[in-house]
Amino acid sequence: MIRRVVLDVLKPHRPSVVDLSLALSSLEGVDGVNIMIYEIDQHVENAKITIVGTKVDFDVVKEKLEEMGATIHSVDEVASGKKLVEAVKTPQDVSARI
Amino acid sequence: MRFFEKIRRYIKVSGVTPIGRRYFIKNALDGATTILGIVIGANVADVANEFWVIWPGLGATFAMCLSGLFGAYMTEEAERVSEMRTLEKSMLTDLQETVVGRANRFASFWAAMVDGFSPALTGLSCLTPFFISSTGLFSTTLASQLSVAICLVIMFLLGVFLGRISKRNMVLHGTKMLLVGLIITLVFLALKMIQ
Repeated sequence: MIRRVVLDVLKPHRPSVVDLSLALSSLEGVDGVNIMIYEIDQHVENAKITIVGTKVDFDVVKEKLEEMGATIHSVDEVASGKKLVEAVKTPQDVSARI
Repeated sequence: MRFFEKIRRYIKVSGVTPIGRRYFIKNALDGATTILGIVIGANVADVANEFWVIWPGLGATFAMCLSGLFGAYMTEEAERVSEMRTLEKSMLTDLQETVVGRANRFASFWAAMVDGFSPALTGLSCLTPFFISSTGLFSTTLASQLSVAICLVIMFLLGVFLGRISKRNMVLHGTKMLLVGLIITLVFLALKMIQ
């Protein structure tokens, strides 16, 4: 079962992020939603959507997003299982940055 | 999702509220002004039979209603289709079966309803005294005076509504709108006196 999923989404300006977040948070198994707009064009906007829950159904989320006129560009992070696991920093991450 | 909730969402997503409001005010004023013109014209011509006002009034109201329904639908639909194509190009996907596509289709229908029925509503309201007069309850002259009064009140209220929307002096806006009706009335009363 998915506990957290982070998506990169392209959406029209309307429905607004408020409506989109309310629509997503009303889904079964979803406890909370965060939407952050990081780029705005003339007709569309790019959003990073974080969905957290006890049993997030990815297909239902995808369906809801499509119904609201949005498309998933990429799935950037998924956390599933009995426990929510954060990404672990390794020495390689630091050296890669240097 | 419940019916009204769906409609509320479509109105919100399509952004049709300001367009609908504009259509409503403009066409409601058209309806009232047209009937005012007919009533005052009939008064100048000393029409004694109320049906000589009712039939032209109903004809004009029906014509305005149909013109509004089809005119607004076709105009709005053409604009919305063009907007959707641009949006679909940006999204690189078909949006017809999404809430955006459905809301856009609903917006054309909604605009047509408002554009068609607002002049019909005000037109019929202004004709009401003549409908009552035709039952013999009061004279055609009184019906004429009442009809003019209703037209002027409707115009004033539309102005008040505009003032409320723009958050400015409602009475001032009501009076401005009332002036349109007063000009028509005074011009025709002057013509009657000359005649």
